[in-house]
Amino acid sequence: MKRTVTAILALAFVCVGLGLGQAKHPSELKYPSLKYDPPDPKAFRVEYAGGLRAYVQEDRSLPLFNITAIVNCGGLYAPKEKAGLDTVLGDQLIKGGTKTREGTVIEDRIDFLGGSLNFNVGERTSTLSLSVLTKDLDEGLGMFFDVLMNPAFREEPLKLAKARFVEQLRQANDQPNGVLSREYEKLLYGDNALTWRPTKASYEGITAADLKAFHAKYVSPKNVILAVAGDFAKADLKAKINKLIAGWKGGPVVFPALPKGFPAAEPGVYFIQKAINQGYISLGHLGIEDTNPDYFAVQVMNFILGGGSFTSRITTKVRSDEGLSYNQGSRFTYRWGFPGTFSGYVQTKSSTVGYAISLILAELNRIRKEPVSDAEMETAVNYYLESFADSFQSAQATMMSFANLEMTGKPMDYFKTYRSKIEAVTKARVQEVATKYVHPDKAAIMIVGDFEPCNKGGDKWPGPLDKLGKVHRVNLTDPMTGEEIKKP
Amino acid sequence: MRKRILVLVASAFVLAAFAQAAGVTLDVKEHVLGNGMKILMIPKPGVPRVVCHIYFQVGAINERPGITGSAHVHEHLMFKGTEIMGVTDYAKDTEIDRKIDELMGKIYREKYWKTDGDPVQIAAWQKEFDVLVAAEKAYIIKDDLWTRYMSNGGTGLNASTSQETTGYYVTLPSNKVELQMLLESDRMMNARFREFYSEKDVIMEERRLSENQPGFFFGEQVNAAFYAASPYHWGVIGWMDDLKKMTKQDLVDFHNRYYVPNNAVAIYVGDFDPAAIIAMAEKYFGRIPKGPDLEPIRTGEPPQYSEKRLYGEGPAATSLQMMFHTPPDGHPDTAALSILAGTLGSGGGGFRGGRGGGGGTGRLYKNLVRDKQLAVSASASSRPQWYVGAFQFSATPRLDKGVKPEDLEKEIWAEIDKVKKDGLTEEEIQKAKNKDEAGFIRGLASTAGLASRVGRADLKRGWRSILTDLEDLKKVTNEDIKRVAAKYFVKDNSLTAIYTRKSGR
Repeated sequence: MKRTVTAILALAFVCVGLGLGQAKHPSELKYPSLKYDPPDPKAFRVEYAGGLRAYVQEDRSLPLFNITAIVNCGGLYAPKEKAGLDTVLGDQLIKGGTKTREGTVIEDRIDFLGGSLNFNVGERTSTLSLSVLTKDLDEGLGMFFDVLMNPAFREEPLKLAKARFVEQLRQANDQPNGVLSREYEKLLYGDNALTWRPTKASYEGITAADLKAFHAKYVSPKNVILAVAGDFAKADLKAKINKLIAGWKGGPVVFPALPKGFPAAEPGVYFIQKAINQGYISLGHLGIEDTNPDYFAVQVMNFILGGGSFTSRITTKVRSDEGLSYNQGSRFTYRWGFPGTFSGYVQTKSSTVGYAISLILAELNRIRKEPVSDAEMETAVNYYLESFADSFQSAQATMMSFANLEMTGKPMDYFKTYRSKIEAVTKARVQEVATKYVHPDKAAIMIVGDFEPCNKGGDKWPGPLDKLGKVHRVNLTDPMTGEEIKKP
Repeated sequence: MRKRILVLVASAFVLAAFAQAAGVTLDVKEHVLGNGMKILMIPKPGVPRVVCHIYFQVGAINERPGITGSAHVHEHLMFKGTEIMGVTDYAKDTEIDRKIDELMGKIYREKYWKTDGDPVQIAAWQKEFDVLVAAEKAYIIKDDLWTRYMSNGGTGLNASTSQETTGYYVTLPSNKVELQMLLESDRMMNARFREFYSEKDVIMEERRLSENQPGFFFGEQVNAAFYAASPYHWGVIGWMDDLKKMTKQDLVDFHNRYYVPNNAVAIYVGDFDPAAIIAMAEKYFGRIPKGPDLEPIRTGEPPQYSEKRLYGEGPAATSLQMMFHTPPDGHPDTAALSILAGTLGSGGGGFRGGRGGGGGTGRLYKNLVRDKQLAVSASASSRPQWYVGAFQFSATPRLDKGVKPEDLEKEIWAEIDKVKKDGLTEEEIQKAKNKDEAGFIRGLASTAGLASRVGRADLKRGWRSILTDLEDLKKVTNEDIKRVAAKYFVKDNSLTAIYTRKSGR
């Protein structure tokens, strides 16, 4: 299939290269047609012993082997008094060693082989990833499953990790961007597992027993999906994996109740003081889930509004026309099982904070009230259609995408139907979803910056900031204690 | 158009030695146009996409005081249109643009040449300027090149400027590479820097973003103190004064000098037929006239003959940096320094772009973080740049245990002395070689990463230097390690920077 495509393309290139003259303007260019069909997840799905699922692709182009275990568990399942358990687990699954190997032995050996082994704990999914040369496949695979199935969480490395993470808490309020994203989420989601942050006490309270219990509860064959690609034969790999996981069991997993019902934040300005020369701004409210049937229309709408880089309205207005900022735009974020956020964002010098906000709010209103242009639609839709094949450039990334679709319960024909769903989006649908999901009147406007100059404004938009709504001064919390700092 | 301070030289080490060991090779097809421009191609059949990059041998080191930051400003301006792109009526637009420049010339003289410029006069001219800018908008097609690429499925669309190189990137469907050839050759020949003044404002905002990163100002001073003479003295973003005062003519001169085909390499990685690429390149890039030869950078870094120490305070983590001057890329000692950095500070962290890091397997981590529990992190890295190299140690102390940066400094010197006396273990040296070999293979799997590495390497020493560097690395012995440690890790060749957290800037 792929080979055929290549041959056709090569031929087409020759025609273009030799047959036609030099174009003076891009509008004169004629492109040969290109057909691309995405790979079908079914062709790669495998089931190993104990109900362990996998997406596996042989890729013999280089002597490499890559495997990732996606585990259905994450930091969201840690109780409040153990906030930070995800960070510690991410560090200690490998560093804490296994029943038969010290963590440092595993790290040294992987490093000696020129490989990598990493564990990352996310919100609801966690990933253990190994990459080694094919010649080290057996040894690497052995260590990979040993770490996944038999972590020992030894006391000494755990003690060190906790002390280092507590030390790192000192930096939690240093970066203006870090402060903004953390506090903005807190404002939109309220006080629950989505926004709990570790403190010195919560880190210190985490024990090896906690880590063991967490691991035992969630890491079981039926709660894991593998993504594998590289230089091997599928049948050989199956035999090897089945041997390594023989006897690996685990009952059905019972997940804790997820937070739900997020009361809307009161619209207005939320100001966090920091002695810097710009204001860092996010403004918006909760968004949607990516399983929402409006998802594709929202993608196209946001591309035009502020997601499509230099082709988008917010960038054109705020950056290109006015020279107010380097980063600006709008974004919808997505999370599994919850609505994500919608935000307009910008960082600009203190005197133009109010002006930049007013311009973004105006664009939010405009896309609700006026239909977008044909040219804007064409650029947005073509971008998604024409760049579609990009998602499949790496075999391992493709297997990961398929495993994630299955893990999060999305339709397995997601990629197959993707382009037709984008093509179905119309100008009317764009305006419809803008009206439905973009609400400048309900926006919480959060600013991290220096209050006096921001509040004063400048020639084009003199302050004060309460012209944008009631100003709430938000105090930061001491990262060590989690308690509010009264005087910053 | 984001600025990325680059570091690819280091990772380039890894390429060819393993090529022989594993039977894998780096196969780059080469074609040189009549005007001296080089076309490199790495075909990778499969998904119908092509990574298209162009690199120019120009960066911040080609600047001088007064125009620092101009390589990067120029990179931004390359997105601001040409005679055919970004404009509806070229003649009318040019007329207005000329008036804008004249007016700004008057404003700059009043503002920056005089100590007592007339604010009333400046305000009046500024009003005229605003009127002209508004009038010009009628003829400008906003971000035309960007829109054209995106609506044709362009991804990875960006550009970046480093000390040494500037690159322009896009990944396209494999039936649309001709679009890149047309647009890139057009902006090499016909760039017109419209919206220059608002774009400078954007770049000053970009600089402020850096300034608001905790510890930025101190880092900028450390770099400037470390490089007293060589043009690595200033950062890619440039000094704020120069950003304010540089003129459009500065940028036009810069463009005419450096954006010539004999100073450029185009590289393609992906699903294509090389013959078709060559034919198109001849057609589009081949039409650009060759420019004069360019002289390499003159000023190196003179020996210090004395230790430098810098102390700073501000809103970032308390930390220690120790920096040593080392030779540039391609020097016989580069390979041994690379192995040393990898072994002392292996596993990630450290300053980006160099070999080494601060992860779980390096000596510094094991001794200072794990066993003695004096540091939160400790790393080492080596950065062999084009004209002057640097080796750096970085560490953050365990404040909960009352450790000070100066305590870590003593510990690192003790580690250095151990290396001077005994070198590394055989296993450590072998590990470093294995990692480079594996890194080479892994590097071949990427498309954009490969384009970037090969394209940049080609500008200075030719892409085959990737292979010869790897050969050199295989030959490093423990005697080499001891020798380079003794040669470069001496106080008279060092700068030590100690930063302490305090509130305020």
